[in-house]
Amino acid sequence: MTEMSTESKIDSLITKKLCKIVGEKNATDMKHIRYAYSYDLSFVKPKLPDYVVMPTSVEQVQKIMEFANQEKISVTPFTAGTNIGGLCIPENGGILLDMKRMNNIIRIDEESHYTIIEPGVSHAKLASALAKYNLRWSWPVGPPSASVSSNAICHGIGGLSARYGLNSEEITSMEVVLPTGELVRVGSCAIQEDAWHSCLPLPRMDGLFTGWLGTTGIITKIGLRVHPVPPILKVFTASTQTLGHMASYLRTLGNYEICDDLTGVSWWLSQVPIPYPYKPKPDDAPEWISFATTFSWTEKEKQAREEIWRMVVDEETKNGSSLKETVYPEEALKARTQLPSQIVGSTKNYTKQAGAGISWPGTFTPLNKWEPVYDEWKKILTARNLSPSVRVTNYRGVHYGMLRAMIPFPKKDPASIENARQAIVECLKVDLDNGGIPYKPPVDFGVEINKRAHPGYVELLKRTKNMLDPNNIMNTGKLAL
Amino acid sequence: MKWDIPSLEELEDAVWKCTACGNCKTAYDFGPPPTYGEICPAGVEFGFDGNMASKGKIAFARGILDGQLTWTQDFVDAIYKCTICGGCQNQCELDHKPVIPEIIESMRRKAVKDGVGPMPTQKVIAQSMRSYNNPYQGPRRVRTDWTRPFKKAKNPIKNIMKKNAPILFYVGCTGAFNLPVRNFPVATASIFQKLGLDFGILGENEICCGSTAMRLGDVDEFKRVAETNMKTFKDLKDNHGVETIVTSCAGCYRAMKKDYSLAAEYEDCMDGLKIIHTTDFLFNYFKEGKIKFTKEVPWKVTYHDPCHTGRHLIDFDIDEDGSRQWKGSYLGKSEDNCLYDIPREMLKAIPGIDFREMGRIRSNSYCCGGGGGVMTGYGDWAAKNAGLRIQEGLDTGAEQMVSICPFCHYNLNEGSKRIKSDMKVYDLVELIDMAL
Repeated sequence: MTEMSTESKIDSLITKKLCKIVGEKNATDMKHIRYAYSYDLSFVKPKLPDYVVMPTSVEQVQKIMEFANQEKISVTPFTAGTNIGGLCIPENGGILLDMKRMNNIIRIDEESHYTIIEPGVSHAKLASALAKYNLRWSWPVGPPSASVSSNAICHGIGGLSARYGLNSEEITSMEVVLPTGELVRVGSCAIQEDAWHSCLPLPRMDGLFTGWLGTTGIITKIGLRVHPVPPILKVFTASTQTLGHMASYLRTLGNYEICDDLTGVSWWLSQVPIPYPYKPKPDDAPEWISFATTFSWTEKEKQAREEIWRMVVDEETKNGSSLKETVYPEEALKARTQLPSQIVGSTKNYTKQAGAGISWPGTFTPLNKWEPVYDEWKKILTARNLSPSVRVTNYRGVHYGMLRAMIPFPKKDPASIENARQAIVECLKVDLDNGGIPYKPPVDFGVEINKRAHPGYVELLKRTKNMLDPNNIMNTGKLAL
Repeated sequence: MKWDIPSLEELEDAVWKCTACGNCKTAYDFGPPPTYGEICPAGVEFGFDGNMASKGKIAFARGILDGQLTWTQDFVDAIYKCTICGGCQNQCELDHKPVIPEIIESMRRKAVKDGVGPMPTQKVIAQSMRSYNNPYQGPRRVRTDWTRPFKKAKNPIKNIMKKNAPILFYVGCTGAFNLPVRNFPVATASIFQKLGLDFGILGENEICCGSTAMRLGDVDEFKRVAETNMKTFKDLKDNHGVETIVTSCAGCYRAMKKDYSLAAEYEDCMDGLKIIHTTDFLFNYFKEGKIKFTKEVPWKVTYHDPCHTGRHLIDFDIDEDGSRQWKGSYLGKSEDNCLYDIPREMLKAIPGIDFREMGRIRSNSYCCGGGGGVMTGYGDWAAKNAGLRIQEGLDTGAEQMVSICPFCHYNLNEGSKRIKSDMKVYDLVELIDMAL
């Protein structure tokens, strides 16, 4: 018989206090429960939280934060843990604040086109609810179980980003519990309790809580714009031999602002799954393939959009581009245009062959730097036997956008994880040196960002963080300060 | 007999295929329109990621394998707080998908082997199996109590060991011993007699199929009864003219179709024997026009898909030799063997039935909460979860819920009582019998 082990490192008084706040069933220090929160898809080393707490109300969140602040216990907010940057791994243990039980869709305003949701609302749940009103959100290529609010506050992108920008640009209001336990609001709901329609024209204080990797507060409600779904979808698919040609096509097409999603992917990323280890693409296959979604209300409108697209193709071809109309691999196209998708949910198309691990250099990079950065990334990745599975996406009709490589690796093998980590960090350095900025960065990235940052930026970051979180308890270590 | 029942260690490669992406946490379908629903009873009740879906259970497995997690009372408890319904499995797209229930059960087998499982209340089942050959502590003679009305009506049911018949009606322990679901075997036998079928039962010689023992990780007890049953079935085939084994119990059906096939001698014992669920069996007669409904059943009904006659019967296409993708890669699935359309088609054919469909159906059916030993180990939670399912049925406007599993039937009834609803639960055979 295996001996029953007992836990000895946990302070049972803290557990009791947390149980008193949220109830016995919603707080624990049991190791097997903590273990399930100690790792994610990424290369980030697993770390155990000391306590896991699931609040069910704003008041409970406030009490937890007041207590944690008083006791100076680290708090790591968690909704679904589906990011690929280790953002919910508790670097310094402490309390893992699992927000999944606050999962109400409080309002869908079908007239004003916004919704108010709690942090535990998943993409699957919101998609199902919005469909009843023929409304949509900019669904990212993440698992349907991923949190809508977490994606938004971490500057996630989605299927409407070419039209409306980042998902954080769709935020209309927020209710936030500060690390000290105080409740604040930003946006219109701060002035009139029931008005959740806009952050503007007030000062953009939502910026205090977006892009901070859960280090500045706990969002307990968020207002987000939602948009009508035109009935007719057309997906333009094209290929090129080089990223230079692809970037030119995406720039030209982007100028017309007719697309909701404007994306190019390397051959390796168009495969379901991404090949692991690296394998050369077939000689007759194009290196870059693009899908561009455009929605229309009428057939005539669709025809007009097709006319514009045809014009762009002609123009690019005339200028010597290798651009060709092409067929996008069926399952990959489905995964990217039928969102939220279980196929693309960081699983089947990303990690299936390698085995469980996935991380990225995910960046915002000017379009004219995509090709030189990609050329370097390709050398780095193939030298490490990893596929250069790269995606580029335009944002809101402008000429910068997402440049990222999805790098799968087997989680069972520590050497393979380290190989991927080193490759990814090397890729990141190349991008930073070309003016790109990583998003949803793991701590390794934060270190590289801060090395290059203006001293005034780092100082301002520290002061702001200190103002909001004087005892530095929120998601500690994530900003690599 | 030799068995190929994998240990947790033998499933380690599969464990490491889980990304922890969380696809398994919710039932979602793009549609259009997109649909969403909770799918994990344990997740709904307990909430922590470790308790939830295959993501959580595989974290437990990983923790055991990497030496981070050792048995504690609470950890063992958490491993048994799962209905093994396969709802999470249905969402997954990765290579470990086909063995997700096996990974969960292999942890239970390890717990039993290490002397820490199952849970105390479930140990009663194990003891009962050893003492009575059934999980209900029912004496042998009680097994045939349900046949009394037939005897009284001078239509006794044949004991197949004494009088040969081509059809064995394998009643199952729940139908025989669990009073609230005794209508199952009664209705089944009544239909068979109305159809003039030559069938028999094992009577007091019937023993448990072993499903419950297998779900609890008590592999030795499972093997004992499975081996006895397979030998009995072979004898019935060779010496008593049996060609078909019909069962009304989803658990028995799943055990005989899937669990028994892990024995090396399965083919030898079972080859030539058709194992079929009552619903499927009757459907053949229905298609041939031999079942003609003559009476009205003017009810508003909804249908609950049991896990064991649904997604547990999904066939997975796996690249066994690496010739199509890579060795062990999950390629796709077939729902051809799942009993989804058949019960609905028969139900809708009954005159007067006003059929209402719930949101979570077929492969995304929401488990009643009674499987995997949960009804015995955690009766209160099982009934609470069943109450959620009953409420879903009530929300359709239905007044009766129909299913084809005695376990679901019993537990859903408990759920209905718990939420003080008027929803009544029936087995499909009861309605068929009423309409004939």
